[in-house]
Amino acid sequence: MEAFIIEKTEETPEIILNPAEHIFKISHRSLPENANGFYAPVFEWLEEFRQNLPDDDIQFVFELEYFNTATAKQIAKILLLLEKISHEVSLEIIWKYRKEDVDMMLSGLRYSKLLDVEFSIQEIEE
Amino acid sequence: MAEQDIEKIGYGFTLFEGMQKDNLGYIYRGLFTQNITDSIISLAENNLESSGESSKVKKRVFSIMVECLQNVTRHQTPQNTICEGPYQAGIFVIQNHNEAYQITSGNVVENSTITQLQEMLNTINSLEKDDLKAYYKQILEDGSISEKGGAGLGLIEMARKSGNKLFYDFKTLDEELSYFYLHTAISKNSESAFNEIDLNNIKNLHEIINRENIILIYNGSLNQEGLIHLLSTIESQPIGAVDVKKKLFNIMVEMLQNIVKHGEKKDDELGGNPGIFFISESNNSYKLSSGNYIKKSIVKELSEKIDYVNGIEGENLDMFYTQRLLNFDIDSSKEAGLGIIDLRMKSGNKLLYSFSEVNDTISFFSLQIII
Repeated sequence: MEAFIIEKTEETPEIILNPAEHIFKISHRSLPENANGFYAPVFEWLEEFRQNLPDDDIQFVFELEYFNTATAKQIAKILLLLEKISHEVSLEIIWKYRKEDVDMMLSGLRYSKLLDVEFSIQEIEE
Repeated sequence: MAEQDIEKIGYGFTLFEGMQKDNLGYIYRGLFTQNITDSIISLAENNLESSGESSKVKKRVFSIMVECLQNVTRHQTPQNTICEGPYQAGIFVIQNHNEAYQITSGNVVENSTITQLQEMLNTINSLEKDDLKAYYKQILEDGSISEKGGAGLGLIEMARKSGNKLFYDFKTLDEELSYFYLHTAISKNSESAFNEIDLNNIKNLHEIINRENIILIYNGSLNQEGLIHLLSTIESQPIGAVDVKKKLFNIMVEMLQNIVKHGEKKDDELGGNPGIFFISESNNSYKLSSGNYIKKSIVKELSEKIDYVNGIEGENLDMFYTQRLLNFDIDSSKEAGLGIIDLRMKSGNKLLYSFSEVNDTISFFSLQIII
């Protein structure tokens, strides 16, 4: 399946969904005005991906510095979809946060409690 | 909500009205450092770029801003006197008004220098363009450069580049010190010049700004693009420790996006929603305030939402957030949005708010968050 890539801007994240390279990652920051619209193609891709799952394990990485509340809902939706996918293939969610960024760590913790999926929260250096 | 709290933050509307009156866009107050100066200039750069101004006007605005900011930086600490209290801070104001960019700066001066300063300003204002050039040269050759490197060369430069008079005013602080306001305008159409400028509104606003210890005000129409520019200037401000600044940034995004999404226009103005955002500082805490128009018909509902969120805390607040997080319906519910809950959680304090009636259909909503 073809990779899905969005480059980062001042208000939107970098998104790399590349099965061939085993990279699934959302990073940088996310504060679009219209979060629904921004993430719509991500869902489209993930839904299609769900029909063409690889055999390999999947690590899906979130490494965000900041996201707005509109994005918070979109992340919840993505995670719920990943939870479904995890029933069919081995999938782990990795939530990275910068050292001392307590808010980001707590956000990860909140999401992890909502889901029945392998979820690891990792601190990274600046 | 307690009566005194409402009174306490009601000045947001006064400030907004005062700024709207003169179409004031951006005010910075505080110690001027190189970083601050740079960030103010880049904010103006962003605004000028998106306004499609001619490069000639842009250049003039920049060079005058630089002179003005350097003036404040150089003179923000009087040499022989210890100046304390709110007026110690310099102030810089830029506005886009009457077909011109209007720039005002303010700083403390010693009373003993006022006469000399006035003489110089009057001389500059009496000279035509060519004479200004000659005067500039004369001062250079005289070598009568002041200890702070000035001698008014900066003032002459400002007058030359703006093509307008230098307007000024003083406000006596005490026996030793006064506050010096300097204003000039860069007309977009080089034919038109200003004969008179009233600095009283800025002086009055300055009182509120000092009283509330406000360090930055942005007033204008807010859309997502403007928001991003404003955020980038905050990122370059030397505000608090890294974690405080991050928190500040997070809260600011939600407050400003609220205005972008839920604000109303009073008239049929173009662009984003009119709004004001300011930051004040007090005893180790920051107060972030926003203000915008909303439909009068939703005042009651919004009050109830905020009161509800203010009334819960700890685990209940957390549970409420999660519940709202997983509600993917387009928001039409009577329950508070995620943004309000997020603000309450991140600040760890209750949200202060007030409404001021504007007309039959529109009210002004002030919101303040302490971190």
